[in-house]
Amino acid sequence: MGVRITNRHHFLAVIMGTWLAFSAQATSVPDLGPLPPLQYNKTKAELGKRLFFDKRLSGNAGIACATCHDPTQGWTQNQPLSDGYPGNGHFRNAPTLINVAYKKVWNHDGRIGTSLDDMVREMITEDYIMNMDMRIMQERLKQDPRYLQMFRDAGYGEPSNGKVRQAIPEYLKSLTSRNAPFDAGTMSAAAKKGLQLFKGKAGCIQCHNGSLASDGRAHNTGVPENFDIFLNPENHQAFIAFALFQGIENQMNLKRDPGYYNVTMKQADMGKFITPSLRELKYTAPYMHNGMLATLEEVVAFYNAGGGKDRRKSPLLKPLGLSDDEQRDLVAFLLALSGDPLTTAEHVWQEPYPAEYATIEDWKHVRN
Amino acid sequence: MSATNSFCKMILLLTAAIAGLIIATGSAAQGIAKGISPPPLAPLGPPPIPADNPQSPAKIEWGRYLFFDPRLGGDASTGCSTCHEPDQGWSWAEDISRGYPGTVHWRGSQTIINSAYYSKLFWAGSSTSLEAQARAASKGGVAGNGETDIMEARLALIPEYVALNRTIFGTEWPLLRDAYRAIAAFERTLVQRDTPLDRYLLGDRTALSAEQLRGKQLFEGKAGCIQCHNGPLASDENFYNIGVPGVKRWERDGLAQITFRFELYAKGVSETLYRTLKDDPGAYFRSRNRWDMGKFRTPSLRYTLYTAPYMHSGQFDTLEEVVDFYNAGGVAADGRTTAFPETKSPLIRPLGLTELEREDLVAFIEAFSGEEILIEKPELPPYAPLFTRAQLQAAQEAK
Repeated sequence: MGVRITNRHHFLAVIMGTWLAFSAQATSVPDLGPLPPLQYNKTKAELGKRLFFDKRLSGNAGIACATCHDPTQGWTQNQPLSDGYPGNGHFRNAPTLINVAYKKVWNHDGRIGTSLDDMVREMITEDYIMNMDMRIMQERLKQDPRYLQMFRDAGYGEPSNGKVRQAIPEYLKSLTSRNAPFDAGTMSAAAKKGLQLFKGKAGCIQCHNGSLASDGRAHNTGVPENFDIFLNPENHQAFIAFALFQGIENQMNLKRDPGYYNVTMKQADMGKFITPSLRELKYTAPYMHNGMLATLEEVVAFYNAGGGKDRRKSPLLKPLGLSDDEQRDLVAFLLALSGDPLTTAEHVWQEPYPAEYATIEDWKHVRN
Repeated sequence: MSATNSFCKMILLLTAAIAGLIIATGSAAQGIAKGISPPPLAPLGPPPIPADNPQSPAKIEWGRYLFFDPRLGGDASTGCSTCHEPDQGWSWAEDISRGYPGTVHWRGSQTIINSAYYSKLFWAGSSTSLEAQARAASKGGVAGNGETDIMEARLALIPEYVALNRTIFGTEWPLLRDAYRAIAAFERTLVQRDTPLDRYLLGDRTALSAEQLRGKQLFEGKAGCIQCHNGPLASDENFYNIGVPGVKRWERDGLAQITFRFELYAKGVSETLYRTLKDDPGAYFRSRNRWDMGKFRTPSLRYTLYTAPYMHSGQFDTLEEVVDFYNAGGVAADGRTTAFPETKSPLIRPLGLTELEREDLVAFIEAFSGEEILIEKPELPPYAPLFTRAQLQAAQEAK
C-alpha cells in the first residue's frame, strides 16, 4: 500500500511544526529537484493513448478518460468540480494527469495506494465516474480490428480488462513535465526569489517537497467546503454514492468532504487531503481538492493568512506575513514549475474513432 | 411398514414417473390418448400477492413513479419503461430490446402486462419474483446499468420519494430494495382479466366468434398448443426448445455481437462455449445441463396482440408467422431454426394445418388480448437539495 499517515507521523508533524516556529528553514525534508526519466514501452503506450481518448470505455459510451482529464485544459477540467458520469455530477476537482505516474498514492483522499493499474480500474468502473462494466468494455474492444492489432503488437494478445489496466498506465508514463523553467534552469529573478520564500519564510516545502513538490501525505489546510457539492443534487448524489460505497456513516447528513478520513476512519483525519504536486499549475486552475481557489494568487493569499478554518487544521499552517511583492514572487516560482502543455499528437490521440462497431463477417463460422 | 408395502409404493412412484415422462416427452395425442390432459385454459383470477410485499395504494403510487423514472438507471436515461413502453405493449417493438445507451440487449423485451402471474421471470426464468426481476433489470449492464449506490443516492434527493417511502416503509431514507418492492406492487396492478377468452370461459358464449371457436378446437387438439400454453396464464412455465432461430441481427450488427459475447462471458460459460456458441443457450445458464441448451420458459399468450415481435429472439413479426413456424414443426419460413437441434422438444412437429385452420388459430390467439392498456405517464418529481446554504454555512463555521 502507499504512504499512509499514522498517528506517529502526525505526532512527528506536530513536533516539526513546533520546531519550525523557531527555525525559518526546514532542512529535514527532501529537496525539490528534477523528475527522474520514466522508461516505458512505446507500443503499449500508443495503445494506452488510444484507450485514454476512447469514449467506448464508459458505460454509455458518452465520456472518455480525456473528458475530465482534457489535454487542452491542463489534463484536468478548468472548473471547480469534475463533470463526472452523465446523469450525475462530481464532488472533487479533477487533478492533472501530468506526472501522475510518479505518484505513490492517488485520489485527493488517498484511497488508492497500490498502483495506477488499480487507479485506472477505479476510474473506469465507479458508478459516478465512468460506470463501465469492464466485461462489456472488453467485448467492445474485441469488436474493433484496430484494437485487435494494437493489443497483439503490444504483446498483450487478445484485448482484455487486465491488459487495459496495464496499457493505460504505460501511456500515463509518457505524461511528464517537460521544459519547466525550474528544471531547465531558466527561472526569472522573481521566480528565484520565490523559491527562497518557498523553502524559507513561506514554509511551503514542509509538504510540497521532493521532485513532485508533494510529500504524498494527507494534511488538513482548512480549505472551505464547496457548497455546490451539496446544493446541486447531481453533485450531491455522486457524493452520497461515494460515501455509501466507501462505508462512510451518516452520509445523508454529511456537510463536508471527509477526505483522508475515508481511508483511516479516524476523526483526526477528517478534512485531510493528499498534498498535490505543484507541477503544471499554470494550466490547472482552479485549485484545491474542490476547486475553491480560482487563481494562484488566491492560493498564496490563503496560505499567507494561515490557511482556512478548521479545528483540526495542520499546525504547520500559520500566518506567514508575506508582503505583496513576496506573494508575487512566490506565484512566479510556482509558475516556473510548469512546462510544455503536452497537447500535440505525441501525447494526444488525434485520429477519429469508428462511428459504429465493425461487423464480424461470417459470424456464425468464426470463433468468438 | 412391510417390505411388500414399500415395494408397492415404489412401483406406484415409478408408474407416476413414467406417466410424467410421457407428458413431458410424448405428443399431445399420446397424452390425450392415455387420458392425461394438461390443465385446461381458465379465466385469469386475481394476481398472487406475496405475503412479504402486500399491496397498498401508496406503494402502488410510488411504484408507478419509479417504473417511469429514468433515474433508476446508470446515466439517468434508462428506467423500466424505457424498454417496457406502454405504447409498445409494455415491451419494446424490436427483435431485441433497445438496451442501455451504448449497448443493445440480446433478447426481446417481454410485456409487463400479467407479469404478476409468473413464478419465473425473464426468458430463462432467472428471477423468481417481480421484485428480483426489477433489481436484475435495473443493474444489468445492457439493461439499466445502474449501481445500487448511485440509484439509492438519487432517491434520497427526491423529496416526494423520501416522503412516500417514509409513509410506506417507515425508513428515514429510501432503500433500493424497497423501491423494487414498490415497482413490483405497481406491476401487480397491470393485469388483464377481461379478454374475450376470459368472458367466454366465464360463460359468455357470444364472447368468441365462430372462427375463434374453431381455433380453440385446434389449440386444444390438432395444433397441440395446449400442451404448454395451458392454465389461466396459458403458460406451464416449463422450459422448452421449440426450434426458434437465434437473432438474425447477430450476423450483421457489431453492437449486437458485442452483447452476445458479453452475455456468454458475464454469465460464465466455459471457454470452449464462449468461443463457439452462436445462439442463446437460454435455460442452460441456470442449470448448466447440456439438455437445457436453447430452452426458454413458455411465455403467456395473453396480451400478445400488442407485443410483436414474438419469441425470445423476436424473430417473428406477426402471429401468422408464429403459427406458420409451429405448423412447419419449429422451422422459420426462411428455413432457420435453433442452433441446438439435439434438445428440441419432441412436442414440436409439423402440424399439417390448412390455411383456414391457421387463420382460425390466429383468430383464437387474438382472443387472449382485451383492450390495449395505456396509462398516463406520471409527471416525475424533481430533485431538491437536502441542505440550505445557511445550514452549510453553519457547518462550515463549526469546523
